[in-house]
Amino acid sequence: MKPMKKVEVVIDSIYLSRVLNVLEKAGVSGYTVIKDALGKGERGMMAGDELTDVFKNSYVFTVCPEETAYKIAEELRPLLKKVGGACLVSDVLWLTH
Amino acid sequence: MGFDLLLQNILNPPVLMFLLGLGAVLLKTELEVPQPLPKLFSLYLLIAIGLHGGYELSKSGITLEVLKVLLLAVFMAVLVPVYAFFILRLKLDVYNAVAISATYGSISAVTFITAGSFLNNLGESYGGYMVAAMTLMESPAIVVGLILLTLFAKRENNSKVNWGEVLREAFLNPSVYILMGTLLIGFLTGEKGWKAMDPLFGVLFKGMLAFFLLDMGIVAGRRIGDIKRVGVFLVAFGILLPVFNALVGIFLAKTFGFAKGDAFMFSILCASASYIAVPAAMRLSVPEANPSLYVTMSLAITFPFNIAVGIPLYYFLINHLWG
Repeated sequence: MKPMKKVEVVIDSIYLSRVLNVLEKAGVSGYTVIKDALGKGERGMMAGDELTDVFKNSYVFTVCPEETAYKIAEELRPLLKKVGGACLVSDVLWLTH
Repeated sequence: MGFDLLLQNILNPPVLMFLLGLGAVLLKTELEVPQPLPKLFSLYLLIAIGLHGGYELSKSGITLEVLKVLLLAVFMAVLVPVYAFFILRLKLDVYNAVAISATYGSISAVTFITAGSFLNNLGESYGGYMVAAMTLMESPAIVVGLILLTLFAKRENNSKVNWGEVLREAFLNPSVYILMGTLLIGFLTGEKGWKAMDPLFGVLFKGMLAFFLLDMGIVAGRRIGDIKRVGVFLVAFGILLPVFNALVGIFLAKTFGFAKGDAFMFSILCASASYIAVPAAMRLSVPEANPSLYVTMSLAITFPFNIAVGIPLYYFLINHLWG
């Protein structure tokens, strides 16, 4: 098992591509996206309005070395400040195989 | 307004399905349309209307008359957000005023389609080029909104509008793209093409519209609770501005000698408000604006108003003026 950082991002679906760009630029080797994530945050209810992506979140997570995780977090800070959303970084153990 | 006309509009399966969906939410039933289907239905409706419009356009050809309609459509799509913005500024900040005015400057394809179905029930027709007019009216309001934003908003340097991204969203959003594309396909393939497509995109059209409107009723019903947050000024705006826009549209249609069916569809385009393309573009370019204002207004106030009252009201006026 290898100690790594897990980065989780919840963002308006409309801004998903920007988050993925940040991950790519930071050099992560892979990530997982769950589209159509619903819930409630500081900017109100994201109830998953059926016709637009305006009331929908997307959830992204990746596991990477600590240095990359901080790079991602700093890159995302201005976007999150502007449009809302959340970014969590936590310690995880990666099962090497 | 003729009571018969109002009744005739309401007693139409698609409109009743909308009310059924609305009722399902208000009565707290668990009815819902499974998730990816509404998107399929909206795609179906856009393809059907694009193909049919293109076919009609191939019959009429692109004449001076058609160009006049298209130019006036663009004119209204530019004009409406400008005066809407200054009315909204009386009560709102720049960001919300921009987002709502762009919403009202653009159009709702489903309102247009429902109005077309109403006209067909009366045995009247409209030119296929009205679909082209609809497509042309989707995007300009987004651009006008952003021009108003750069003129009136005092933003920090790091939050400048990304014009490339927003123009792309304005002119290449899925509904504009699919409408343009199918209009072209319908135009190029003419009668032969339409006959091949008719079983799916013609015969089944009304049933699909009814299904889609059931979902729209559910979506609108879920947003009704938000009307309280919108406030009296914006509720009044969501009803009165469409009526005013329709009147301007009718005046222009009369002045420029539109045929009766075209005048009606033009007034519907002027009166309707976007709830798909513009909210997506505004969320990208004006994140400071509150989407529960502009989406609620277009979806829970203006859309139901136009579907139930606006369509017969504008038709009544046009019928009176055109005879």
